[in-house]
Amino acid sequence: MEIRGVFIEDTFAEAFGMRAARVVITARTMKWARAAAVKLTGFATSVIACKCEAAIERELTPDETPDARPGVSALLFTMDSDSLVKRLTERIGQTVLTCPTASCFDGLPDVPDRVPAARALRTFGDRFQSSKVVNGERYWRVPVMEGECLLQESFGVQKKGVGGGNFLILAEDIDSALDAAEAAVAAIDGTPGVILPFPGGVVRSGSKVGARGYKGMIASTNDAYCPTLRPLSTTALPDGVNAVLELVLDGLSPDAIRAAMRAGIDAACRSGVRAISAGNYGGKLGPHHFHLREIMGGPV
Amino acid sequence: MSDEVRLTVRGRVDARLDMSGVTPGRCASLSTREIAALSVWLGATAMTVGDIFEVRGEHAPHLEIEGDLDTASGVGARMASGVLHVHGSVGDDAGQAMSGGVLRIDGHAGDRLGGAAPGAAKGMTGGEIVVFGSIGGEAGALMRRGLIAAAGGVGSYAGRGMIAGTLLALGPLGQLPGAGNKRGSIVAAGGVAVPASYRFACAYEPPHVRVLLTSLRRRFGFPCDPALLNGRFDRYCGDAGEPGKGELLVWTGAAERA
Repeated sequence: MEIRGVFIEDTFAEAFGMRAARVVITARTMKWARAAAVKLTGFATSVIACKCEAAIERELTPDETPDARPGVSALLFTMDSDSLVKRLTERIGQTVLTCPTASCFDGLPDVPDRVPAARALRTFGDRFQSSKVVNGERYWRVPVMEGECLLQESFGVQKKGVGGGNFLILAEDIDSALDAAEAAVAAIDGTPGVILPFPGGVVRSGSKVGARGYKGMIASTNDAYCPTLRPLSTTALPDGVNAVLELVLDGLSPDAIRAAMRAGIDAACRSGVRAISAGNYGGKLGPHHFHLREIMGGPV
Repeated sequence: MSDEVRLTVRGRVDARLDMSGVTPGRCASLSTREIAALSVWLGATAMTVGDIFEVRGEHAPHLEIEGDLDTASGVGARMASGVLHVHGSVGDDAGQAMSGGVLRIDGHAGDRLGGAAPGAAKGMTGGEIVVFGSIGGEAGALMRRGLIAAAGGVGSYAGRGMIAGTLLALGPLGQLPGAGNKRGSIVAAGGVAVPASYRFACAYEPPHVRVLLTSLRRRFGFPCDPALLNGRFDRYCGDAGEPGKGELLVWTGAAERA
């Protein structure tokens, strides 16, 4: 299967089930909402070392937010619900509570599973805090030096989140790889329910499970896709490929991942790209398999 | 089962009508015939709902009442769930001892809205009362939790002995609001004489008021204009004779934006 001369390999991305929350941050201006959201989602590329994966999903207009102010929605993924509560509590506490004029709301109000992630933060108010219930939802009012910080107490937990959707861009050189990756990120940007947790949405250090030379490592470089190791390892690179970049996608559902992969791969199929591939572990580790050719509408 | 139960007043009700037994929660489990057989008091005369209203619908926790009931007392009293929407005005003691659900009144409400049953230590303990007209005296007295919102004015002694909860008035508040207030919030957007027992804290933009107003506007079409939504409020803490954790938020105008 080829798209505009780019070969689509007959393989699949292998992804895992994750717990997810959507955090809506509002502020007096979009500048401050984004400032809080950037910090909230900072250092959250991979659960391996960051304990969660997070990124900004999209900007929200005042019509879309609970307090009719500009806002930003962010998605945060962990491997289990307990960890999700901890990450939400510490990140909201350090980034939204601290950010001028920012408030924080749950972005998954229809999800039945809920965790009181912001309840512990009320104690920062040193018993001067108070709460209000509006339309059945409790909000904590924590006194701060510029007024009050408002935090919704409970957050919906999407138990059918998916982490680790991915595809690889196999290009002739780094310029072509970057052009294609940036086009793919732009195409995926704003897709509801999907984030790209790595820097700029792109990963250069794709990994394999474990390590060849070091015991105890969870992951190490994916030598099969490293062009510098072509003669030293069992390479997976076709001739003419000198740079590979990966997009990793986390989503609230498998369908959201599929839609984003389709848009991203289509945008990445451009001059200088030889092939699109995907990372998997033989299908034995992750329950979600996203077959590239099926996603792109071709024969499996 | 229908989407709603609708009661339409058959004719002008002049005598005092006690509606305290007719709630959405009760209608949720009853047929049309059973709803029509619910007892109400018209003055000193025992009657049924069917004598006063034309009844349509059954087995629904959503009750619509058409017609003015300004002589009816106890509309929505002891309501615990569901929606009761009155397309007109109601009399005294509406929402008395209410603990949940939504009581929407398109017209005016009488005295002691959301108050306590005689001899009780607490008024409403939950739910929302949204009034598009004005409210009489002693609204939210001994209120423990929940919301009372009025698009119009609110009479004297609003929030008397309020334990917690929120009372919002877009129109003027009568004299001595929040007397004996412990932890409740009274939001005055239409003018108020601040009692001497409340102490000024600051001028700011309370984020919870913004969430409350936005929610009311979106869900009920409550008339909150942008000047109010973007408003700055003076915060007063009181009541001084109590723990003092209550508040009176007085709207002072739209905050200036850069």
